[in-house]
Amino acid sequence: MIALLLVLLLGAEATSPSSPPPDGFVLVEGGPFRHPKSRFHAPTVTVPSFYLGRHEVTQKEWIAVMGDNPSAFKGDDLPVESVSWYDCIEYCNRRSRQEGLEPYYSIDKDRPDPGNFNEADERKWTVTVRAGANGYRLPTEVEWEYAATGGPKSRGHAYSGGDDVGKVAWYWQNSGEQPLSGLWNWPLLEKNGNRTKPVGRKASNELGLFDMSGNVREWCWDWFATTDPAEPPVAPGLARVWKGGGWIGADFCCEPSFRGGFEPHGTGADQGFRVCRSR
Amino acid sequence: MKPQTSVIAALRRVFSPRLLLTGLAAVSSIGLSAQTITSNQTGTHNGYYYSYWKDTGSATMTLGSGGNYAVNWNLGSGNFVGGKGWNPGSSSRRVGYNAGVWAPNGNAYLTLYGWTTSPLIEYYVVDSWGSWRPPGGTSQGSVSTDGGTYNLYRTQRVNAPSIQGTQTFYQYWSVRTSKRSTGSNQTITFANHVNAWRNRGWNLGNHNYQIMATEGFQSSGQSNLTVWQQ
Repeated sequence: MIALLLVLLLGAEATSPSSPPPDGFVLVEGGPFRHPKSRFHAPTVTVPSFYLGRHEVTQKEWIAVMGDNPSAFKGDDLPVESVSWYDCIEYCNRRSRQEGLEPYYSIDKDRPDPGNFNEADERKWTVTVRAGANGYRLPTEVEWEYAATGGPKSRGHAYSGGDDVGKVAWYWQNSGEQPLSGLWNWPLLEKNGNRTKPVGRKASNELGLFDMSGNVREWCWDWFATTDPAEPPVAPGLARVWKGGGWIGADFCCEPSFRGGFEPHGTGADQGFRVCRSR
Repeated sequence: MKPQTSVIAALRRVFSPRLLLTGLAAVSSIGLSAQTITSNQTGTHNGYYYSYWKDTGSATMTLGSGGNYAVNWNLGSGNFVGGKGWNPGSSSRRVGYNAGVWAPNGNAYLTLYGWTTSPLIEYYVVDSWGSWRPPGGTSQGSVSTDGGTYNLYRTQRVNAPSIQGTQTFYQYWSVRTSKRSTGSNQTITFANHVNAWRNRGWNLGNHNYQIMATEGFQSSGQSNLTVWQQ
């Protein structure tokens, strides 16, 4: 927990407290977790203030920085997907440079990350943070969950922004041409034309953040590892954390406390991200 | 909705990348007598969980008394999996079965099949097969149990759809070194396979369903078997 607090406290005050949030971003005022069901709801956990993207990164935003568009479903205002964790790290730094900000990450593509034990991952870039840099970055899992639960304004909703998953999230039952019910069924999703949706069409949460539940899953910075003795052990170095659930997955994945792991080199039509900046 | 109660989508190992999953239609039924099935569904029949999934081709599954079921398949380019068993599965279950008919013409498996979440794992204990012994590749050890030796394999599905979204997950395999005889009572002591896998660091998670399955891949054939718990 001490290490966690140290990590949390590394967020530097890169802009003055009175500065308005950058365009397209929401100021997430720091503090303790208010949501009682959060995995981080504990007196010892306090999150510094930071800026978080109001929306998932769109394809228009991605193309403006990266030039290409790997998404399976095309559209300017659709969230970019089919992007690996590495792709998103690279996006953050390129966008930072494009906008005259200090890149937040140091990326060494030639030295395999000694902490990466994923045999299938052929990239294994060594990515380290440049604490204090004001550039774009992925939120940590703690930051993401704090923001998704409404931060200091949390009303304790089951999902980010409400208790009715259908009003706040695109997930398998409402992301196709017809509503689906019953048992999750991939061929049925395919047949039903399930897919990503334009960002910001569902209700926002207490902080004005959209699609924190559903649409695409969102990469976080952290390695995925299990800490609950009741869970099968998963060591760090194999997968990165994703949060929020997506259009393919079930409603339980859209709960802010749910955490999934996905190989850092993995891609999928439901895997996207949003960016943040230290305050 | 939680996966333990409603996630009835099985991750399938098939040869076409597009046919990644067993999609099991949102149909359940409870019956007490013989029942013929020709479309995707899951349910409970005479106290046993059953599932039926097919993409294309023809497959008729007849649910008999108790844990009995029969399949007649002619798939063309399609794939089929179906069987009877339990939901949820169990790592300690001793599965008894008697395959009175096992007559594949082409590629097919007679297998204890199930899957778990956290981690997402699909597993097979293959007792017999048709023209091809799965999963190919080099085994990573063996376990002797129930009168035979099974080779152990671990394969990986990359970026495949699942109830949690796109996932990369492992499949654990125990495959008998020789086809098991049919027409007599047989036992699969699943715990011995689970322990053999665990000794290699291959852990299972929370059980979803577990069935003694007939799987056919672009083949035809017939099976008739009865399952029970010992």
